[in-house]
Amino acid sequence: MAILEIKHVSKFFGGLAANSDVSFEVEEGAIMGLIGPNGAGKTTLFNCITGYYPPSKGEIFFKGRRMNGLEPDRVCRLGMVRTWQKVRPLAKLSVVDNVMVGALARTSSLRIARERAMAQLEVVHLAHRAEALAGGLPIGERKKLEVARALATEPQLLLLDEVMGGLNPAESEEIIQLILDIKGRGLTQMVIEHDMKAIMRISDRIVVLNSGEKLTEGSPQEVVTNPDVISAYLGESHA
Amino acid sequence: MPKTLLKAVSGAVVLGALLALPRYVESPYALHMMILLFLSVSQGQSWNILGGYAGQHSVGHAAYFGVGAYTTMMLMHTWQIAPWFGVWFGMALVVVVALAIGSICFRLRGPYFVLASIAVAEILRLSAINLTTLTNGAEGILATDLPAFRIGGRVVTEFLTKVPFYYIGLVLALLTLAITYWVQHSKLGYFLQAIREDQDAAHSLGISISRYKNIALVISAVLTSLAGSFYGIYVGFVDPPTVLGLDVSVQIMLICIIGGMGTLWGPVLGALVLVPLSEALRSNLITEALVQVGLVSAESRVGLFLKENLAHAHVLLYGILVVLVILFMPEGLMGFVRKLASRRKREA
Amino acid sequence: MAVFMQSLISGILIGGVYALIGIGLTLIFGVMRVINFGHGDILMVGMYLTYLLFTYLGIDPFVSVLITFPLMFLFGGFLQKVFINRVLNAAAQNQILLTIGLGLIMSNTVMLIFTSDYKILSTSYSSATIQVGGGVSVSTPLLISFLITAGITAALYWFLLKTDTGQAIRATAQDREAAQLMGINVKRMSILAFGLGSALAGTAGALIAPTYYIFPQVGAVFTLKAFVITVLGGMGSVVGATLGGILIGITESMSAVYISSGWKDVVVFVLFLLVLLFRPSGLMGKSRT
Repeated sequence: MAILEIKHVSKFFGGLAANSDVSFEVEEGAIMGLIGPNGAGKTTLFNCITGYYPPSKGEIFFKGRRMNGLEPDRVCRLGMVRTWQKVRPLAKLSVVDNVMVGALARTSSLRIARERAMAQLEVVHLAHRAEALAGGLPIGERKKLEVARALATEPQLLLLDEVMGGLNPAESEEIIQLILDIKGRGLTQMVIEHDMKAIMRISDRIVVLNSGEKLTEGSPQEVVTNPDVISAYLGESHA
Repeated sequence: MPKTLLKAVSGAVVLGALLALPRYVESPYALHMMILLFLSVSQGQSWNILGGYAGQHSVGHAAYFGVGAYTTMMLMHTWQIAPWFGVWFGMALVVVVALAIGSICFRLRGPYFVLASIAVAEILRLSAINLTTLTNGAEGILATDLPAFRIGGRVVTEFLTKVPFYYIGLVLALLTLAITYWVQHSKLGYFLQAIREDQDAAHSLGISISRYKNIALVISAVLTSLAGSFYGIYVGFVDPPTVLGLDVSVQIMLICIIGGMGTLWGPVLGALVLVPLSEALRSNLITEALVQVGLVSAESRVGLFLKENLAHAHVLLYGILVVLVILFMPEGLMGFVRKLASRRKREA
Repeated sequence: MAVFMQSLISGILIGGVYALIGIGLTLIFGVMRVINFGHGDILMVGMYLTYLLFTYLGIDPFVSVLITFPLMFLFGGFLQKVFINRVLNAAAQNQILLTIGLGLIMSNTVMLIFTSDYKILSTSYSSATIQVGGGVSVSTPLLISFLITAGITAALYWFLLKTDTGQAIRATAQDREAAQLMGINVKRMSILAFGLGSALAGTAGALIAPTYYIFPQVGAVFTLKAFVITVLGGMGSVVGATLGGILIGITESMSAVYISSGWKDVVVFVLFLLVLLFRPSGLMGKSRT
């Protein structure tokens, strides 16, 4: 069953189309990879899905419910949460307080929120940094914090925007394991990633965007052998 | 836990001392200083909830202070409604004003929010000047005859000394402190701080930005209006510049900034620094001290000049303090104290 | 009709001076993204400077612009170098608070020196008028100040558009980082911008000195007006500030005549809130999609 349906979504900024007529579905429990050259409109699509701006055209359905025009906080409480490409820690709060903010979306008790937050910190191997200030974490730990905080809101669909960007290979490997762990718990994920090797490993299906349009969709194997995809990426590296 | 015990004991001692103070201190001037201190603590603490925790730096809190002060005074002056009834009207009116302001200002971020908050306060100040039939215009409202406060026919106080004001002020300060403590230790406080740190991130984590900003605003505005009502009946006089002027907004904000925004004790520290300093300037204590020490002769031109003018320039001190705090202690005194504490911990 | 023309013309004339204040604020904002809450107080310093030059040296207020402009430029550059520079990368509220603090220091220092008494600078032509015909008359000092304003604005446009330094300032305003990469000395541009902004505010102060009461707190009103003007015109836009200034001048003078002079500032602030709500990028700016 599809948990998320994107139907003919377009987003215009002035006369510029950041997304045009994008359609695909995300199966429950699967990992959907979203790739494409810089400026392909991946983050714009995330912003449309999570309510940061309404799509100019088209519709978005989550668990069969039409999401167009819902505010991000509603989207989150309905079970869909995103992380940010440029990490956004709540700098002056401690690591555990950051995650608690996420957990408080589901409970009003600080005690329960704290327990759940600590549990999520264990999941991302950040429990030992619980009392540190979020603003002082190195990039690798900030990325983990983003994931823990998003998980704390108890989503059914997790949208990860380049969680491996700027990480060294060891850190990336940790994140890959984390994503697979999360999948093991039955969560659906949609992942934007630049690291092709990583995305091939984790994705069940991949959607390729190019200049705002959907170029193709398929299994990792289909996508990587698709000549259009190859030329889109080569075009980028030659430019 | 000895540390918690120590805190509880020292809290109880300070509270006991504050409760007992009027029994042993009869000087009206000392009581006046304490009342000003309580007023400042409640002003700063009220602003803290919106400015410090939610990060919405209103430079228009005079609006709420003034509406509270004016409503109570107008009801007492024109309709002979006792302030302990009038104050509820003030709070109700302020909720309406705050929600109206919120619906305008919270659509704006950062500097635009600051500008809008100033504009709204200025509109209210100019309206108070122009609506002469209602507010007596620029002349202000003088109403010093407080009715006796009775409970069940028994007179509790007739407000003949400063002592009843002292206790009202103390209760007000403790109330704002308690509410801030509650905010800090609740979901609300977490959400407000999340909004302050990163509005978009907070939004993505399920926090309704406009809802929580408005909650913070209403709490902050109601408490500020209480402080305004208290100011009105204590001084017995309100006019547009003293309760609705831009200076008032800046002073309210300053208590919090000097002490440390978004901390429980920041506004208390801020008030402890600001009130004595500005009173010392106002009452010429500083000039007298300079003369005493022998730095300035009382009859010299400089001495006479200082004596004549320094009293009017206590706002100059606010300016200097703001600049120094922003440049050298952007986290306020609390930040400074914390830094010292963590340094000591590291050395130990 | 004569009343309408009368208030329209005086609105445009005073609007010219407002434009000068607004341009100063918008230049500073454009280059540094700092909103100068002490702008009106800088204008106030300009007023007192003019008053001093007139009272002690007998220099005509309009001639004194030649002295006020460079002095206020240096003053602004000093403020930028010593204070504003340190908070360029700080949080917006810290910048705002710092400029509020500087404004308080200026107004209260002036109060300490001159007391809070209202001062009047009366020249032989302070209340002179010129008949334009049709029962419409124009205040001579307002007319002169408008002409000077127009001259300064024209010179400023020329400076920003035609000189290398002017172009560097505009480039910095457009994209600070890119300007830096292109070898523009951004620090120097910031000092220039704050100096110019202050000089313009100070000059506006000099120009209104013959027609306004001079007192230490006069700045607050002008700070707010400057915001209204720049927001109307779109933050950072010099052309917008010019038009915004004239628009505010007309609005004020019209509402003084047709509503009441007590409410004219309220009308301006309400207009300001409406613009903030419905056209946050300014009347002249492009609306967001």
